[in-house]
Amino acid sequence: MTQRQLLVSLAGRIVPESASMAGSPRAQMLSLIDEALAARPPVMRRQFGLFLIVLRWAPLLRYLRPLDRLDPRRQDAALRWFQDCPIQAVRSGFWGVRTLIFIGYYGRPDVGRDLAYVPAADGNAVLHARSRR
Amino acid sequence: MLDRDADIVIIGSGAGGGTAANALAPLCRDGARTVVLEEGPKFREDEFTGREVEMAKRLYVDEGGFLTEDRAMTIAFGRAYGGSTVVYTGTSLTVTEPTVRRWGVPGLSHEDILRRSQKYLEENHVHLLTPADINDNNRLFEEGCRRLGYRVAQFPLNLRGCRGAGLCNLGCPNGAKMGTHRVQLPEAERQGVAVVTNCRVDRIEERAVVATVTERGFGERSAWAPGEYRIRAKAIVVAGGAIGSPALLLRSALAARLPALGRYLTCHPALILVAQHERPITNYHGHPKSYYCDHFADSDGFLLESCMYFPFTTAKSLTGFGAEHSRMMSAMDRLQMILVLAIDPAEAENRVMADAQGRPVVRYAIADGVRRSLVAAMRASARVFFAAGATRVHAPASSRFFIEAADADRVDERIPFDGLTLGKVTISSAHPMGGCRMGATPADSVTDAWGQVHGLPWLFVADASLFPRCAEINPYVTIMALADRVAERVRREWPHLRANAS
Repeated sequence: MTQRQLLVSLAGRIVPESASMAGSPRAQMLSLIDEALAARPPVMRRQFGLFLIVLRWAPLLRYLRPLDRLDPRRQDAALRWFQDCPIQAVRSGFWGVRTLIFIGYYGRPDVGRDLAYVPAADGNAVLHARSRR
Repeated sequence: MLDRDADIVIIGSGAGGGTAANALAPLCRDGARTVVLEEGPKFREDEFTGREVEMAKRLYVDEGGFLTEDRAMTIAFGRAYGGSTVVYTGTSLTVTEPTVRRWGVPGLSHEDILRRSQKYLEENHVHLLTPADINDNNRLFEEGCRRLGYRVAQFPLNLRGCRGAGLCNLGCPNGAKMGTHRVQLPEAERQGVAVVTNCRVDRIEERAVVATVTERGFGERSAWAPGEYRIRAKAIVVAGGAIGSPALLLRSALAARLPALGRYLTCHPALILVAQHERPITNYHGHPKSYYCDHFADSDGFLLESCMYFPFTTAKSLTGFGAEHSRMMSAMDRLQMILVLAIDPAEAENRVMADAQGRPVVRYAIADGVRRSLVAAMRASARVFFAAGATRVHAPASSRFFIEAADADRVDERIPFDGLTLGKVTISSAHPMGGCRMGATPADSVTDAWGQVHGLPWLFVADASLFPRCAEINPYVTIMALADRVAERVRREWPHLRANAS
C-alpha cells in the first residue's frame, strides 16, 4: 500500500464524507495534501512518512492486522489510541495526519456549499437583508 | 552579489516596519535614501480571492501553521507588503497602564505609548461598528457575557468601507482594512521611501544588509531584479516580527554580545471554541470580531474574543474526527465561535532560535499556569455559549465531543483541567511578542527603551519583538506606538548616524 493509498483510507475515517468522493473532488483533496506536504522541510516530510508506517503497522500488536485491514470500528479505536497516546510525539504525529486530511477535504474551494458556508464580498448586504426579514 | 547604497534600511513592512517607514519618510526631504525590504509580495487587489488554503499559502509563513519545536502549538504570522496587518482583523486596542508598569522598562511610560497610540487610532480611522453591522455570532457573544455579568466591550476597528466579507484573516477582498499596506506604506512611498518586496534579508553585517530577491509567481513584481544584494546603510531598523527579527539577528552572529536575544518570547496561546445553535445564525457575513471580554484578565489570565473562522481552520480547531466532527462541520451557518487567549508569562527558556540553515525555530513550553488559564477560559466560554442559547458546545479539552445544553450546569466537570492534552488539542498563536525585548542592560534585554540594540548605535528594532512581556491585548496598535518611538530616536540621532558612517 502506498502512502497515498493509506492517506485516502485514513481520510475515510477522519472525514467520513471523503470515502464516497471520486473524480475531481478527490483529486483536488489529494493535490492539496501533496502541496501542503511539499511545503514542509524535508526532515518533516520524512518524519511524516515514518509516522504513517507506524500508524499502519502498530495495530498489528493488538489486532494482529495492519490498520487498513481492520473493520471501521477497530480502525477508529486504533486512531483514537494514537490521538490520546501518552507520548506527546505520537499525539502530535496523529494531529499532523488529521490536519493534512482536513486541509485536503475542507481546503477545497467549493467545499463551502456542503457546509452551509457561502461568504460574499458584500456580506453586510446579506446581513442587513436578513435583519429586515 | 549586487551592491546598493542606502541611508536607512527598514526590514519588514508590517505594523512595525510600515510605521517606521512613514515616520522616517520626512528624512527623504533631506536626501536620506530610505528602503524598506519586505519578504512577501505586494498583492494586487484581484488576488485577494478569499479562498482559504490558497490565501493562507500566499499570505502566511508555513500557511499560518508554523510549528513550535515540540509541535504543540502553531504560530501564524503574515508575509506581505503590510506584513501581518494584511491579515489581522483590525482590532485596535491600546495597551493598559498596569501592563506597561509590569513591563518595567526604565524610560518607557504608558503616557508616551498612549499618546502615540492615539495618533495611529486616528490615522487608521479606528471606530466602532454600528449595531446594524454586527452579526448574530458577535451579538450572541455580547449577550451571553452580559447575562453572566462578565465585562464585555466592543472592539474599535480600523476599517474604511468595510462590506462585511468576513474574510479579514485572508486579506480583505474589499481593501477596507487600514493596515500599513493601505495607510503608512503608500504615504511613505509618496514621500520618497522605496519598498522592495519579495526580498528576504539573509543577514546583517556592520552597517550593511545581505538580502535575496526572488519572484513568487503572484503579486506585483519586485522593484529589484531577482538576485543577491548587499545594501550598505547608515542605520538599519529591524521589523521582521517577533519570530523573524530575533532569527535574523541570530543569523547575523549577534548572540554572543546579546545573551537575551531570542528569549522571553510570549505569544498569547489561543484556542477556538465552537457552539451549535438550533437554527442558522448570521456568522460568516459581517465583520468577524466585534467584541471582547477582559473580565478574567487579572483574576485568571485570559481574554475571550468573538470570532468566525473558515472551514479548514474550524475543522482543525475541533478536537477529534469522524462522524461527530463531520456533523458539526456540516452546518457552519449554525456555529458560534469564541477565541480564547491566555496571558502568558515571559520566560527566558521560551525562545526563538535559528537552525543550521538560519531558519527560525521556536522553543515554547506551555506553562502550567497557561494551561490553567486556557481551561478556565474554555469553561467561561461554554457558559457564554449556553447563556446565548447554544444547544451544544465543543470545547477542545472536554471529555466528550459535545457538551449538551442539559449539562450546562456541569461545565466544570465536562472540561477537566487535565483534559488539555498537548499534541491533541489545537493550540495556536497569532500574537508572537518578545525575543528582542527592551530593557536597561544587555544581560536581560536586547535593546534600550528606544529600540536601539545595545552596543550597536546604527541598529534598531521596531516591532513586537521589543515587548518585554506580553501585551495582554491585541498588540498591533502598541507595535505601531513603539515603532513610532524608535523612528523618533532614529530621526534624533540621524545627524550623528550620518556623520559616523561617513
